[in-house]
Amino acid sequence: MRSASVLILTDEPEFARLLTACWRAERQAPGITVLSSELWNDHEAAAHELVVVGPVLEGKLPGVLRSLEPAAAVILCVPADSRELAQLRSRYPRLVHIPLREDWAQTLLLVAGESLRRAEALRLAKQAERRAAKNEHQATLGRYMVDMKHSVNNALTSMLGNAELLLLEPGQLSSQSLAQIKTIHSMAMRINEVMQRFSSLASEMREAENASQAETVAEPASPGSHR
Amino acid sequence: MDMETEEVRRLAADVHLWSAENYGEISMLQKKVLIVDDSPSQVKLIQGYLEHEGYRLVGINDPERVEEAIANERPSVILLDVVMPKRNGFQVCRELKNHADYNAIPVILVTSKNTESDKYWGQQQGADGYVTKPFTREELLRAVRRFA
Repeated sequence: MRSASVLILTDEPEFARLLTACWRAERQAPGITVLSSELWNDHEAAAHELVVVGPVLEGKLPGVLRSLEPAAAVILCVPADSRELAQLRSRYPRLVHIPLREDWAQTLLLVAGESLRRAEALRLAKQAERRAAKNEHQATLGRYMVDMKHSVNNALTSMLGNAELLLLEPGQLSSQSLAQIKTIHSMAMRINEVMQRFSSLASEMREAENASQAETVAEPASPGSHR
Repeated sequence: MDMETEEVRRLAADVHLWSAENYGEISMLQKKVLIVDDSPSQVKLIQGYLEHEGYRLVGINDPERVEEAIANERPSVILLDVVMPKRNGFQVCRELKNHADYNAIPVILVTSKNTESDKYWGQQQGADGYVTKPFTREELLRAVRRFA
């Protein structure tokens, strides 16, 4: 199973400690990184499937949220009466807010689990899209090879066959003509060998494609199932 | 030449005969082969292979004239290409095998379609044999001799 990665961004050590302890008590805990707003570097967010923003120093919250990717999964866990909250909600409509009430940790774990499942589903969907695009290229090449194989095999049949017919009556040919026909025949044989390799390659590509599809289907879709 | 012939046998065509036992002994007087291939050069090549063996040969390039040719020539065996315009060999074979007057004539598919699924599909259409291109003279003769 692919381990999910969560960043806890807070200036309140007790918040981070409690949340980390609750998460570690779960059956499947994600990888957890804890940072204060002072140490926060916006480049680090991309490495995490989920960012949990807890209480931070006065005035730091807008800057932290601004620095996060708009598409990033963010859960904001601050008191419901936070002065900045109303403004932030209008600016970040996708922001998930969990009020810091008595049961905030359990609520946060539930929401985080769903958020991680969504992130994993998106990751798998993107991976499938990439594979589909790659397979489409291979399919185009494969179709071309199949079309070409038919034409080449027909041409080879004529080349090999007519050479064989001429060689059936070698007495009618000069030694030079005979040698030339043998050369044509052996060169046609080489082309035939190449075509056989193309056919093997097409089979290998088909097997690789099937294996790739099976791998996508077999991958787990719920790394964030923490319950 | 012997080594090359062996190489051809190894690399090139393979021959599948599915129902030769259904037709019993064929009289030598009836040795007429109908060749159906949209490529005149392929028809000519097969004629070149078989005329050395004393077969009477009829070649046509239009698959829509197969029934007419059968009615006129009454061949002992039909060599049928698969990839042809207007009417492919699988279709022709299926229709011949569903026709009361023609279904007793052995049909050998001679084609560059050489995957296992192609052969399986050919057999499902009622074909009696399957020869893949490129083939050697020996391979073609082996297939034809089973039926004519």
